[in-house]
Amino acid sequence: MFALTLRNLFAKKGRVVSMSIAIVVAVAFLSGSLVLVDTIGASFDDLFETIGEDVDVVVRSSNVVETDFGDLRSSIDEALVEEVQALAEVESAGGDVGGYAQLVDKNGEAMGNPGNGPPTLGFGWSDVGNPMVLVAGSEPTGPNDVVIDKQSADTAGFEVGDPITVLLESGPGRFVVSGIARFGDADSAVGASLALFEFSTAQALIGEPGRVDTISVTAADGVGQDELRTRINSILPTDVEAITGSQATDEAKDDIATALGFFNTFMLIFAVIAVFVSSFIIYNTFSILVAQRTRELALLRALGARRRQIVGSVMLEALLIGLIASAVGLVGGLAVAEGLKRLLDAVGVSIPTGGVVFTVATVWTAFIVGIGVTVLAALIPSRRAAATAPLAAIREATASTLSTGRARIAFGLVVGALALPSLFAGLFADTGSRLELIGLGAAGVFISVAALSPILARPFARVVGRPIAAMRGVPGELAMENAIRNPKRTATTASALMIGVGLVGAIAIFASSAKASINDIIDRSLIGDFVVDSGTGGFGGLSPDLADRLNQLPEVEAASGVRFGFVEVDESTQSIYAIDTSTIESLVDVGVVEGRIDEMGPGDIGVFQDWADDRGLGVGSRLNVRFPESGSQLLTVSIIFTEDELTENFFISHEAYDANFRDSFDFQVYVRRADGADSVQTRAAIEAVASDYANAEVQNIEEYKDSIAAQIDQLLGLVYALLALAVLIALLGIANTLALSTLERTRELGLLRAVGMTRRQLRSAVRWESVLIALFGALLGAIVGVFFGWVIVKALEDEGFSAFEVPYVQFAVIGVLAVIAGVIASGRPAWRAAKLNILEAIAME
Amino acid sequence: MTTGVRAPEREADRTAAARVDDAVKTFGKATTEVRALDGVSGSFPRGGFTAIMGPSGSGKSTLLHCMAGLEPLSSGHVFIGETDLAELDDSDLTILRRDRIGFVFQAFNLVPTLDAAKNITLQLRLGRHPVDRAWFDQVVDTLRLRDRLGHRPSELSGGEQQRVAVARALINRPEIIFADEPTGNLDSTSGAEVLGFMRRAVDDLGQTVVMVTHDASAAAISDRVLFLEDGRLVDEMSEPTTDRILDRLKAMGG
Ligand SMILES: Nc1ncnc2c1ncn2[C@@H]1O[C@H](COP(=O)(O)OP(=O)(O)OP(=O)(O)O)[C@@H](O)[C@H]1O
Ligand SMILES: [Mg+2]
Repeated sequence: MFALTLRNLFAKKGRVVSMSIAIVVAVAFLSGSLVLVDTIGASFDDLFETIGEDVDVVVRSSNVVETDFGDLRSSIDEALVEEVQALAEVESAGGDVGGYAQLVDKNGEAMGNPGNGPPTLGFGWSDVGNPMVLVAGSEPTGPNDVVIDKQSADTAGFEVGDPITVLLESGPGRFVVSGIARFGDADSAVGASLALFEFSTAQALIGEPGRVDTISVTAADGVGQDELRTRINSILPTDVEAITGSQATDEAKDDIATALGFFNTFMLIFAVIAVFVSSFIIYNTFSILVAQRTRELALLRALGARRRQIVGSVMLEALLIGLIASAVGLVGGLAVAEGLKRLLDAVGVSIPTGGVVFTVATVWTAFIVGIGVTVLAALIPSRRAAATAPLAAIREATASTLSTGRARIAFGLVVGALALPSLFAGLFADTGSRLELIGLGAAGVFISVAALSPILARPFARVVGRPIAAMRGVPGELAMENAIRNPKRTATTASALMIGVGLVGAIAIFASSAKASINDIIDRSLIGDFVVDSGTGGFGGLSPDLADRLNQLPEVEAASGVRFGFVEVDESTQSIYAIDTSTIESLVDVGVVEGRIDEMGPGDIGVFQDWADDRGLGVGSRLNVRFPESGSQLLTVSIIFTEDELTENFFISHEAYDANFRDSFDFQVYVRRADGADSVQTRAAIEAVASDYANAEVQNIEEYKDSIAAQIDQLLGLVYALLALAVLIALLGIANTLALSTLERTRELGLLRAVGMTRRQLRSAVRWESVLIALFGALLGAIVGVFFGWVIVKALEDEGFSAFEVPYVQFAVIGVLAVIAGVIASGRPAWRAAKLNILEAIAME
Repeated sequence: MTTGVRAPEREADRTAAARVDDAVKTFGKATTEVRALDGVSGSFPRGGFTAIMGPSGSGKSTLLHCMAGLEPLSSGHVFIGETDLAELDDSDLTILRRDRIGFVFQAFNLVPTLDAAKNITLQLRLGRHPVDRAWFDQVVDTLRLRDRLGHRPSELSGGEQQRVAVARALINRPEIIFADEPTGNLDSTSGAEVLGFMRRAVDDLGQTVVMVTHDASAAAISDRVLFLEDGRLVDEMSEPTTDRILDRLKAMGG
């Protein structure tokens, strides 16, 4: 049996190769994603090891708010530095100060994109555990000095002695590049831009005078980290703690691992989709191969081969294919990892990578998934092979049943019946494993539709095929008949494409509904005329200075900055917004139902009505809010509001924000034009002020909507690019099926050529068959996509999805692309079919 | 144009429907070379029914394939009407087969996905030529296929399939019909029936037929039998009878 398996493999190299490509592509993507994630993780680990290298103990506040982007802690009193330094076990102790600071290049453009790229950071130059290594110039000593990282210097062409503008909380500051430094032995800290100031300058600009974020301590000779930590802890006040350097490094690594987890999941979802689509193709290929091999199998059965042996032979074949394809895919994964990195770069998500990290886990995963999927997909075909009656040898070689079997219909219905509840539970219920439920549900729906679709294949091909036949004559007619000939094969082939199109369709609906909903929200609640956006998404932003200056313009009726931060309320981390209580109401309608915003004091908080109702809160209730800087504060609920789209669950006044957060940046400023002021002039006036702030972008409401739409599109670009992979695999599947089908029809093709079908007509017949399959897949996909899109939007109704919009143009484009895809997929099989030797074909058994 | 007019016209036309001139066909390279055709010359008159006989491997099928433009000659010429096939490229040859030649193979003559009617009109439709309904009806009725038109090949008996193939070969009124052992797979009754139709195609419809066969009684219905041996034309017999053919064959191969 083993020998037979091998002979089969090598005898049908061509057929095996095209199927294998599907697995290779899927495995390559899977391992590429894993490599990328590992590589990114490793570069962060390196980063934290570099930071922690010389630090034995870190002293920090014990007040912490945990976020998806890392822990936020209070600053601590600088006086502690000296107290720690005074200990005999301590060699040296130094404070650390860091925060947002964005460099401005020589053209006046803000460098970096903290909104969706690496952060832009500023630090105080410290003497203890400072990972920076100067490569030119000297460390910052005066209030105008700044040292920048080598990567930023190289990118913008800064040299020592050059003047440079740095955006800070206090507004744009002018400095001189006193030195250029590397981060450890790297040009930058995983892509972040760094500005290092003289320590007390940094405290004034980024932190607060007299306070530090943390204290880095090195041990005296012979003192261990644990010993030092214990010693330091004994002198610290209760709200300050000491941890060892290695603990700090591990925590940082854990945090980044959590943050990367999202990215990891994101990439793996696409890998799973690719694998899923491939499994359809493997299933289909094995089904066709088994059908074509019926005679041979029947002969074996007649000669006494047992069912088990035949199953084994097919499974062994699958195993070998899976093994080889996984190995090739694994190697391809390295290229994919690089490609993915570029792709992410291209959509503006630049990610740091050091050397490529290729782990044993990646190798195992690739092989287990690659082989596993191939073997599983071959299971049903192999059982079908074993069921071959010995007598089938004397029947037609490809005696495949033409109607959809009852078993298949029943299977499709059962899977569908199981999938829908899972999908709905994932989307609507508040369970822990929503993603898994949605994934299982969606996969189930796809499998169900694929199982049931042969019923539709025939009517579809008839309806769509007829005009093609009328237009193209015999080739069109043959294309239609061939597509109908084996509806199961056509349907399974089309199903691979259905998955890709279904997902693209669902995402397209999600996106256009999101845009429509956001436009609704903006129209409903933004009553200003302009938005000045920092593009930082809340990490740093615009100096509050900007709003003040705008408010002084005669053309401006009101300018109102919005700040953002994280707090802990009710044991969960929440976003909180700070508004200008005197101006906000002429700019944003948050739907106040109780209380007066202009009377809000520093101890007051506005709470979203649903959130308040859930907890029985009302105006006058006290709410415990823990801030990352000031710790727990008891605030009074003074506002209940209904529009949570702009400020989510909570807002406070600027005064309250400044009292409880370390820094205060407006991430956006809303501006309203004064009555009678000319729109163009107003804009010019605003822009004149904003031009001092390199990261400030002035937009009118329409432009603001467009910019949000553009952000959505950018993200979608990535999703589409990744889904293109699934579509690519589906195309391989169509090409594969066509190749196998034309092979099976060699004799018929020979006959057609003999009686005068031109090569061109023959190619046309194969091409139109391909187009029919692709269109069928696209149609099924569109239907499933609309369904998915609709349930997603329904599920997100609470999140502000008020509109359900099907982008018809995009769906039409998908249809056209499907036709093109069909034409491309048919290229090689059609060419081969047209090339065949007529007499040999006719003589073929 | 009706058949009534056309048939006598052809009768009167004495030019050959096809001609072979010193045809040589070799297969394989120097050492393993097989001379399937070794200088065959001959003419196939319009409205004539020619049978080709000879031992297995004598080159009968090869001659037919070369004359039908399915295979190029190694040297020599084949003319269909006045057209020298050597001067045509693949696409022209295809169109020639489609528009000017009819085929009946031993088996697998029909496209399995198309019903009998569509198989019959296949060549015309491939050329996007209109189907002459009267001619179609005449052919179909002559071949007694009327009630089988909607059936697919898998729903037809072997004899019916061959009759459909004959109908297809006739429907575009080709200049010449080639048949390679058209009755080879049939029992004697249906075989005789198919042969009868081919004879009528020549007599009543004015067609030209060249048929390869191993069966002396089949060959006996032709006007003329050509005998091939080792790629050479070794004899020719007019007004053949089964007995004479059998005698001749005995003399040839023993
Ligand atoms: N494609 C080919 N390649 C190599 N040799 C060939 C090829 N086709 C035919 N031949 C050889 O040419 C010779 C003539 O073959 P051909 O098929 O014409 O014989 P035939 O008279 O039709 O025989 P049969 O009565 O058995 O059908 C044979 O020796 C055959 O082996
Ligand atoms: Mg022969």
